[in-house]
Amino acid sequence: MLLLQLIINGIQVGALYGLTAVGFSLIFGATKIFHFAHGASFAISAYVFYYLYAVLLVWWPFAILAACILVVLFGVVLDRYVYGPIQSADGSFFTIFVGSFGVAVVIQNLIGTVFGRGFISVPSALSRSVETLPGLYVAPTAGIAVVTAVVCFVALQLFLGRTNIGIALRALSESPALVRTFGLNPKAVSTCAFALGSLLVVPAAVLTSMTSGLNAAIGGRVMLISVAATIVGGVGSLRGAACAGLLLGIAENLALWRFDPQWSEAVTFLILFAFIVLRPSGFFGRVVTS
Amino acid sequence: MTDALISVDNLRVGYGGRVVLDDISLQIRKNEVLCLVGHNGAGKSTLMNALFGVVTRQGGEISVDGQRLHQPEPKKMAALGIGLVPEGRGIFPGLTVDEIFQLAMWATGVPQRERPERIEWVMSILPRIKTFHARRAGTLSGGQQQMVSIARALLSRPRCLLMDEPSIGLAPKLFQDLLQPIRQLQQQLGLSILLVEQNVKEAFKISDRVLVMRSGAIIHETSPEALADNKVLMQFY
Ligand SMILES: Nc1ncnc2c1ncn2[C@@H]1O[C@H](COP(=O)(O)OP(=O)(O)O)[C@@H](O)[C@H]1O
Ligand SMILES: [Mg+2]
Repeated sequence: MLLLQLIINGIQVGALYGLTAVGFSLIFGATKIFHFAHGASFAISAYVFYYLYAVLLVWWPFAILAACILVVLFGVVLDRYVYGPIQSADGSFFTIFVGSFGVAVVIQNLIGTVFGRGFISVPSALSRSVETLPGLYVAPTAGIAVVTAVVCFVALQLFLGRTNIGIALRALSESPALVRTFGLNPKAVSTCAFALGSLLVVPAAVLTSMTSGLNAAIGGRVMLISVAATIVGGVGSLRGAACAGLLLGIAENLALWRFDPQWSEAVTFLILFAFIVLRPSGFFGRVVTS
Repeated sequence: MTDALISVDNLRVGYGGRVVLDDISLQIRKNEVLCLVGHNGAGKSTLMNALFGVVTRQGGEISVDGQRLHQPEPKKMAALGIGLVPEGRGIFPGLTVDEIFQLAMWATGVPQRERPERIEWVMSILPRIKTFHARRAGTLSGGQQQMVSIARALLSRPRCLLMDEPSIGLAPKLFQDLLQPIRQLQQQLGLSILLVEQNVKEAFKISDRVLVMRSGAIIHETSPEALADNKVLMQFY
């Protein structure tokens, strides 16, 4: 029963990991920008929701809406006013990474200063576990997490497949120069990638704040998971990132069967290294040949 | 000259500090096929890209219908009736042909209600696209991809088509098959075409005028007949 419990916990956590990783993978795939501050987006939306809902007692849809607006703004402003200037001045992948890393550190410290560095969580009846089977405790949030993740992922696939902006995002991931030749501004399409990728973080951040809780340093952990899931799933594959996020969540929880919780990051790294060594192209990735 | 569709005066283009085109002047006349030849790296693609606004010019003037353009941009150029078939694969391998067409029409601002009609029109010019329009462009042969790239440029109903080495990677027979409908269309609609081609034998067959480029400058203007003898052409390379 413990094993089943761990798997269910793993699926709940993994669904949210998957969603966050898909956001990162979408941005990285379309723009080739290593958006390290994606973790900061997660922290921002979680803390905005926490502050509005748990502290100011704002009605939850408004709290979520506010988190959405702020996180999209954060992503778009970062793309326009941090990555954009770096790209036009120098364009190096590494310089952008360092810039993004810097922003992530600033946000983490800002959140630490405003909200403290301690652990917070949003109390909610939805995260109260119910004994579903003898010895098996499941909270409604587990179901909500899985359903939300599936709905968001399907909606994203439809968006990318059916809408003009979705098609443009896929085109941008293949050739920004050709996007320009077609008559679009690649930078504007890139901004859409940031808006959409950042938005995907909100449900995961909100649900995490209600279930496992978080602290100001959550961004680093989110980033590790997102990068690992992107690589394990195969760079450029959103489906891969989603599956890998789920896998990482389940593996992390299964490890609790035998190991202490502080080993969970080690499990992430172990899976990451195993994939880098054994299957560098990931689940769904194409082997890159040059 | 009054029959010039596009006029380029003293155009200068460079990448970073390096000047690639210096003081280029030329005209693309209405209803002509103008062939541009020159060695690799002469600046033919740079000229086309500057004309279409994909590359920013550093100096000179570009006019369409005698109107000076402040800053050419692909979307604006498409609206003025100019289409670019770029060098290399002008397609997105992961998108289907239908998606490529949809993206192109959205990007250039073709009104929604005109879109089906435009697609029907290009499919009537290049009917073979009908057999593979639902496939991902990356799975198509080189000839099919080039056909899609040309069709995509035609979607904006251009009066002038800029084609950058459409024969690259194609068997000569395939290239002829591709040029024929373009030639017909050109004569039917009075299209202007600026054609950059290495395969001069085929290109000259449909050309009215030839410009020879060397190291960023136009060094010679002539008729295709005068260059038909290879030795004459070779002296310009
Ligand atoms: N994007 C670019 N950045 C820097 N230099 C370029 C770029 N594109 C072309 N060049 C340079 O400009 C010159 C002309 O190139 P190009 O216009 O492609 O010539 P062609 O099409 O006649 O072969 C070449 O020396 C090439 O190296
Ligand atoms: Mg060229």
